[in-house]
Amino acid sequence: MRQPLLALLAKEPAHGYELKQALETIFGSAYPSPNIGQIYVTLGRLEKDGYVRSVDVEQANRPNKKVYYITAAGLEALQTWVEEPTEGPRVRDEFFMKLVLAPMTGLSDRMALVNRQRRHYLALMRDLRELAERTDPANRVALLLIEGAMLHLQADLDWLERCQEELP
Amino acid sequence: MSGEAPVVRAVNLVKIYQTGGVPVPAVRGVDLTVEAGEFVAIMGPSGSGKSTLIHMLGGLDSRTSGEIWLDGTRADTLSESAWAVLRREKIGFVFQFFNLVANMTVADNVELPALLGGASPRQARERREYLLGELGLADRAEASPAQLSGGEQQRVALARALANHPRLLLADEPTGNLDSRNTRDVLRLLGQVHRQGQTIVMVTHDARVASMADRVVSLLDGQIADDGAIPRVRRRGGGSAGDVVELHG
Amino acid sequence: MITTRTAELRWIRADLRARRGQAALTILTVAGIVAALIIGATLLEDGTNPWRGLFERSNSAHIWIHSKDVPDVSALRRLRGVTDIAGPYRSAPATLVTGNRRVPITLQESPAALPAVARPLLREGRWLDVHAPNGVVVERSFARALGLHPGSPFTVTGLNGATHRLTVAGLAESGDQGFYPEWTPGLAWTLAQTLTLVEPAPGRTEMVTGLRLADPADTDLVVQRAVFTLRNQVQRVTTWREVRASMELDNRLLGLLLALFGGAGLVAAALALTNAAGGRVLMQLRDIATLKSLGFTRGQVVRMLVAEHGTLGLLGIAVGAVVARLITAYAMGEAVVVPLSAGPLAAILAGASLTVLVAVLIPAWRGGRTPPIPAAPAVPPRGHLSRLARIALLVRLPPALVLGARDSFTRRTPAVLTVCGVAIPMMMITIGLGCWATLDDFKQHPESVGQAAALTIRPGELTIEEARQRAMADPDVVAVYPGAELDALVPWQTRTVRTRALGQSSDPYPFPVVEGRMFADRGEAVAGQGLLDLLGVQIGDRVRVTIGGTPLIVRIVGRVVEPEQDGEVLSLGVDSLAAKDAEPPQFYALVLRPGADAAQVRARLQRQGLEVTQAVNPADRLAVIRVIIVALVVVLALIGLASLLTASALGLRDHALDLAVLKAMGLTPRQVMATLATATGLPAAVGVLLGAAAGAAASGWLIDLEGRGSGVGAGIGRAPAPGMLAATLLIAVGAALLVALIPARRAARAQVPVTAR
Repeated sequence: MRQPLLALLAKEPAHGYELKQALETIFGSAYPSPNIGQIYVTLGRLEKDGYVRSVDVEQANRPNKKVYYITAAGLEALQTWVEEPTEGPRVRDEFFMKLVLAPMTGLSDRMALVNRQRRHYLALMRDLRELAERTDPANRVALLLIEGAMLHLQADLDWLERCQEELP
Repeated sequence: MSGEAPVVRAVNLVKIYQTGGVPVPAVRGVDLTVEAGEFVAIMGPSGSGKSTLIHMLGGLDSRTSGEIWLDGTRADTLSESAWAVLRREKIGFVFQFFNLVANMTVADNVELPALLGGASPRQARERREYLLGELGLADRAEASPAQLSGGEQQRVALARALANHPRLLLADEPTGNLDSRNTRDVLRLLGQVHRQGQTIVMVTHDARVASMADRVVSLLDGQIADDGAIPRVRRRGGGSAGDVVELHG
Repeated sequence: MITTRTAELRWIRADLRARRGQAALTILTVAGIVAALIIGATLLEDGTNPWRGLFERSNSAHIWIHSKDVPDVSALRRLRGVTDIAGPYRSAPATLVTGNRRVPITLQESPAALPAVARPLLREGRWLDVHAPNGVVVERSFARALGLHPGSPFTVTGLNGATHRLTVAGLAESGDQGFYPEWTPGLAWTLAQTLTLVEPAPGRTEMVTGLRLADPADTDLVVQRAVFTLRNQVQRVTTWREVRASMELDNRLLGLLLALFGGAGLVAAALALTNAAGGRVLMQLRDIATLKSLGFTRGQVVRMLVAEHGTLGLLGIAVGAVVARLITAYAMGEAVVVPLSAGPLAAILAGASLTVLVAVLIPAWRGGRTPPIPAAPAVPPRGHLSRLARIALLVRLPPALVLGARDSFTRRTPAVLTVCGVAIPMMMITIGLGCWATLDDFKQHPESVGQAAALTIRPGELTIEEARQRAMADPDVVAVYPGAELDALVPWQTRTVRTRALGQSSDPYPFPVVEGRMFADRGEAVAGQGLLDLLGVQIGDRVRVTIGGTPLIVRIVGRVVEPEQDGEVLSLGVDSLAAKDAEPPQFYALVLRPGADAAQVRARLQRQGLEVTQAVNPADRLAVIRVIIVALVVVLALIGLASLLTASALGLRDHALDLAVLKAMGLTPRQVMATLATATGLPAAVGVLLGAAAGAAASGWLIDLEGRGSGVGAGIGRAPAPGMLAATLLIAVGAALLVALIPARRAARAQVPVTAR
């Protein structure tokens, strides 16, 4: 959460609620909606590290609100984040552990595991598809995110198929 | 529709090909029942016998043993021509390579099954105009298939399959040859006709396509490995689908 | 069921619309073959039976009534079935004197304006003219036999002995009487005044009246009624049947040859259709599979294909029939008057229709068997090196040729189809050339068909010995054989057969003996195949015949090639006959010096007062066959080309994928072209060679078979002339390579397709 907030602040100074709204509009419903408390906690940590600083702005009839600015150190940290390559997802699949280990215990057989998992993946796929149908077609970012998720799911299903074919 | 006979009932269906004198089993004892209005996806790795199964259900391929019941009538014992007559009345087919008749216009392609089914030319034309209108192809009626994009061709193929109000729509990898945009169009149409009560059995290896179905049948080595409905995901908080993305984040 | 038809019709219409050019080509090919057949048959019929043409064109009378006095014309006209009357004309017998010969002739009155019924057909010169009463018009065959031409003067002697000098004004033909000398006496048309001059006595003339009938089948009935109506006036009656019979040639050999070519033409038509339909079906197997998946039954698919391609074929037949009719009516109006009679026409049309249906049924059946699974586009088999290609490699041919040789036989069925599609027309062409060579052989070596003697002389007014002397005196005559032709009664037969006595047993006429040996003694004879078949005897058997009332037992020692009388002729030495039949000989057969002009010799001998007939070479009678051969060779060549084009198109389609690979492998466009051209050209060249070899082997045998069937007998067949065959081979192979090269060139220059389909 740190870097996205820094990136948004590098665009323009903002207060906590504005940051939450910006995240929601950009990524759409596909992205987990952030908790406002979580945002303030993160901002506090960033301020402690010297990446942002805050200024209190007075408001009529309301408590003061804090507007955050990015610092030079913050910009530098953001630069480093942008420039370093991003790791791909690692296969550390929990299901794979189940698939390999569970039959040894005699608690379940692989066929049942695979079938249950496949149905679950398909259910997820249906959710994603319905989500994509609900999403505003103009929101390319959100749709791409959903498509990425779908492709990952398809890969998981293909892998599932391989597991079923290869494991006795 | 309860109380009716299932649209498809296959009992211990077996298909064995003879390849150079060596028997090669493709389907090994499949039991499958599809009720009216159901949308069943058949999945499985290549060579698992899913195409053979759907071809047998449509009478395109003969079964080695077992029974096929369509709409309460036994069909596996039918002759080739009787199958053809049954197909034209009760079954619509959609193929991976669209298979529009190359030398006929779009309109002729769609009207052909209706005419074959005994409709008058006027009835056939009205049905064609309605279907092409629904699929957004009304202005391409006089085009030849070669002038259409893949997605358009498959939509025409779908219109052709639906021309006779078939009891059963069989689709063999209908999106296998389409890009994602065209896939989406064809899927939307399939969903539409399904909501209107169309019974569909579809072979696919595309999970996005399979997730359209109410029920998924997984084939492995010519046998059914799994057959069941796709469950609803229980979402935490019941709101957004964001969890889904996070799972893979 | 009707609406199911609609679906089928819809598909047929769409398919035809998608390939208009190809469909038109199919129709034209079939039309060409059928038209060639009909025209050939028409010419043949006209040639072998000139009566129909003459009768039709001269609007002849079916019945001629000869009466003493002028008959009651109005009574005749009232007879039921009679549509028109010719005459009555006066007619008188007289004797024509030309050179030293005296020949009986009938003079018949005719108006100066050509009559509407029984109108003589003027062939040369001009018609009768009241201002030139000495000019008469002579019947053409009679004039030819006497050597008369327009302008020739001649003398007639009436029964009273008075002679009159007349001139030939013109020559005409007529369907009212047969040709001279089969029909005697000869006929000349004169003006009434000229006739009166020659025969002033009314008692010596008779009246001839022609009746034209609505239906020729009523002839006998009308004759009865006419004879009854005219009471005792009728002297004699002739009918069209007698005239026709006298004009008809024995045409069994011709008929058989035409049947052979008809068969060849139909096979060619079948091939053309099978190729066209087969190629089409092969190209649309996927569509057919789709149709079946939509619910078309196998029967419907077969029916659709038969209907589509059969309609093209039948349309071609109809077009061919119409075109043939138009050509015979307009382009050949001079030569052919009457369209082909119903029998042969129906036979050709029915045969062609049957052929069309059978030819179309095979690919249609193949199409119907297509499994209904419209699978992914067919991938051509990845070829292993065929044996042929391995040989090509061994002899170190350039790589392009090796690749082409590999490709050409990778797919067995199309390769075999191509080979057959080229080989069969080529075989037919070679057989046609064999027929041509056989006709040439007839012409160049008439002695091999029993016509060693080009001329036959009859003594006419002379004694037989004088005639022989005069003939021998001619410098071009090298041998003279005495001869007699008699009818012989043979056992178990109700009719007689021709017996030809020619030469002495010790000095026999050079009959073309092809089996056994020549007769060498009295009581020995040789016979044609027709006679052997008729009597069911073999060489070496004894036969009992009755000649001129004298029983005779002869031993048949050999078989000769016998083009006359359908081969039903017994030939022996004159000394084998009873003396009363042999002496004096009826005629002498003259063998001329090689290279002598028979017509000149004939003219010289005619001036000597001899009656000379010139042998008609069978090749002249068969001349029409040459026209048919040429027409069929053209059509067959077109068919061969068409099947080559189909093969080449199919081949290119199959090789579209390979093409990209070949280019990627680094073959130059020229090498790619060579590869593709070899792939199509090789099977075609193989087909050409196979077809020519089979044709050369079969032609002699086939023609001999025809000869045997027609009674002429085996031994006439000749293989095609080597030079002609070689030229044909070169042209055929050249054309095959050219046809393969043009599309190959285009394909080699085209851009490599990014995706094959």
